[in-house]
Amino acid sequence: MFQKDLQHMMYGFGDDQNPLPETVALVEDIVVEYVTDLVYKAQDTASKRGKLLTEDFLFLIRKDVPKLNRCTELLSMNEELKQARKAFEVDEEKLATID
Amino acid sequence: MTKQKLGTEFQMKKSKDPFEIAFVEQDESPSESPTGPDENEAQTPDPSTSATASNPVRTAGPTGKSKEEDEEEEEDNMDVELGKLPSSSDPDKTAIMQTILSQFTEKQMSRYESFRRSGFQKSNMKRLLTSITGSAKISMPMTIVVSGIAKMFVGELVETARIVMAERKESGPIRPCHMREAYRRLKLEGKIPKRSMPRLFR
Repeated sequence: MFQKDLQHMMYGFGDDQNPLPETVALVEDIVVEYVTDLVYKAQDTASKRGKLLTEDFLFLIRKDVPKLNRCTELLSMNEELKQARKAFEVDEEKLATID
Repeated sequence: MTKQKLGTEFQMKKSKDPFEIAFVEQDESPSESPTGPDENEAQTPDPSTSATASNPVRTAGPTGKSKEEDEEEEEDNMDVELGKLPSSSDPDKTAIMQTILSQFTEKQMSRYESFRRSGFQKSNMKRLLTSITGSAKISMPMTIVVSGIAKMFVGELVETARIVMAERKESGPIRPCHMREAYRRLKLEGKIPKRSMPRLFR
C-alpha cells in the first residue's frame, strides 16, 4: 500500500537509492502495526470522551519531543494554509463583483 | 502584502516542480531575496530560501527514480512541504541551513530532496485509519499528524538500521535482518507502543 512512498522515504533517511523490496515490505508491516497500536492506544484515552480527536495522538507522543514538535509545526502550517486559502477565496469574490 | 503572499503560493500550486519555480524566481531577482523573507517571514512559503537550496537540484536532475510522477502525486503536499522551513522563525538557523544546503553535493541534495518531499499519501493514510478505527470520521489534521508521526518513525527505523549495519561493518542496501534488529532495539528503548492485552485476531 505504501511501497512507493516508503522507497523515497527510506532513501531520504539513509537507505540505498533503491531499497530492497523485502526491506520495504518489512518496514510497511512494521509501520502499519505501529499506526494500528498507536490508534488503539489513542482510542483508549479517547473512550472517556467519546470521540477520537487529534489531541489524543498528541497526548500519546508527549514524551517524544521531536515528534511532538514536528506535529505542532505541521498543525500550525495547516492552519496557516487554511487561512490563506480562505482569504484567497474572499479575494476571488471581490474580483468577481468588480467584473 | 497578502496578495503577494497568495500570488507566490498560487504559483507554486500550478507548477509541477516548485523547486523549478523557486529557481526561476531567484534567477530574476537575486538581490531582492533578503527582502522577501522579511515581508513573508511570519507567513507561508518562502521562495528565496528554497530557491538557494534548489540550485544544485536543478543541475542534478532526477536521479533514476521517476520524480516527475511523484511530483504530480505530491502536488497537494507541495505547498505544505515548502512552507516547512528548516527553522521557522529563527533567522540565524535559517542562515546556517542555507550555508549547509549550498555546500551539498549532488548526491546529498537528492537525498535531502527525497527526505523533505517524501511522505505518506493522505488518501492511503486516511483509508488505513478508517479501517483501524471502524468509524468514518477521520479529520484532516488527524491524518496529517499520524502521517508525520509515521514518517519520523520510519526515520528512526532506518537510522537505527544503519547504526546496526555500521556495527556489523556491512554496507549496501538495508536488509531485513538489520531492520528487525533495529525494530528490536527501538522496542527496548520503549519507542514502540505496545498493547498490554494480547491481540486476539491478526
